[in-house]
Amino acid sequence: MTRAVYTLEIPSEALAVSIKYSPVAAIISAVIYAVAVSVSNTLPSLILASIMPVTFLVMKRFPLSHLVSINVFNLVMILTLALTWPNLIDALIMGIIIALRVNMIVITFGTMVYPMGTSGIYAAMSSLHVPVKLRVLAILTLRGVNTLRESYETAINSVRLRAPRLHGIIRLKVFAYMTGTILLQSFLRSENMMKSVKCRGGFGGFIQAENERLSAGNVAMIAGFFAYGMSIAVMNYA
Amino acid sequence: MHISEGILSGGMLAAGWAGTVAGVSFGLKHTESDKIIRTALVSSAFFLASLVNIRIGPSSTHISLLAPMGLLLGYSVFPAVFTALLLQAVLFGFGGLVVLGANTIVMGLPALMCHVIFGKTVRDGRGKTAALMSFIAGAFAVMMGAGLSGVFLGLSDRNFLGAVKLLMIAHVPLALVEGVVTSFLIMWLKKSVPEFLS
Repeated sequence: MTRAVYTLEIPSEALAVSIKYSPVAAIISAVIYAVAVSVSNTLPSLILASIMPVTFLVMKRFPLSHLVSINVFNLVMILTLALTWPNLIDALIMGIIIALRVNMIVITFGTMVYPMGTSGIYAAMSSLHVPVKLRVLAILTLRGVNTLRESYETAINSVRLRAPRLHGIIRLKVFAYMTGTILLQSFLRSENMMKSVKCRGGFGGFIQAENERLSAGNVAMIAGFFAYGMSIAVMNYA
Repeated sequence: MHISEGILSGGMLAAGWAGTVAGVSFGLKHTESDKIIRTALVSSAFFLASLVNIRIGPSSTHISLLAPMGLLLGYSVFPAVFTALLLQAVLFGFGGLVVLGANTIVMGLPALMCHVIFGKTVRDGRGKTAALMSFIAGAFAVMMGAGLSGVFLGLSDRNFLGAVKLLMIAHVPLALVEGVVTSFLIMWLKKSVPEFLS
């Protein structure tokens, strides 16, 4: 495995800090749980599955306010199902099951995976042997988002100041031209970045993180989630 | 167009991931190392553009820009869409990680099809022909994305088919707006930086 020589986005030491448990173990565990929840559609299996997210909520690991927008969407979804399904009662039951699943998965990922941020996700991608090209692409895309965001905000403010009452097709035209300008900037910036990468030796040393070895605790965590997921599935099909 | 977590069946989630792994592998194979930075920054620009809300009548929407992405990035579009959706899931909570495979197919395949079907005509066409084809590409990408969402939902549970019809109808105005924006954008690029489309 090539050792990190430099990175364009995240210092290699930053990948190892502020993460209490292994990113790989957290992602694998959360995915096992989410898959088990996704296939659950009986009351006992959903009750069993809800134990963990409810615990996260009770321990205040996940703020309830983050669920508001998701549940607004869920209400619209339930209404849509009620209007379009052949049987109203079945539609409501299905809508509630989906809403419960969405909340449980969002709480779990919101507690275990998303707080580790992009650095944790990238560390996990490395350990999961995601191709180098894809990891480089992901890191550069995040960098691009951060660097181009300011240009975009400036362009939007400029449009608002110069033409505050745009409407109709002119609004779409302005949006398209603004996007075109940002694309042009991104194109020119990418040329310069490529030159600088070549000056520093190309992509040979671009690998960001070394593969992580899972500790016994992390393996136990994955095994525990696997057992929990299997229990949910067994209860669902029993 | 994002499919939320918890809706698709296990089989459809697996199918989405299988298709995404194939599409991303194919895209990475066709992405030269020299083009990675350009792909990433173009992807970032589209990512930011898709966060801008545009008011249409009493409501507002955000543009997906799938067709321009396909026309500019060609075969590299699948990894670019995958990366953008991964960041959207991690940074903003749109979609989700389990359903990322299905969402990548829903958005990546229309973008790729735009490159395959309309790429040559848009690049080589002149004036009104190129503008018209860009418009059709933009509208086509949105409707195909909605259609693929419908396929995933319908195959998860046949009872979703009623909601799928509603989804398709709701996407028609968005497809028209997307077509207009794509047309203006591509014509601007053809005039200002024609090498961008080559």
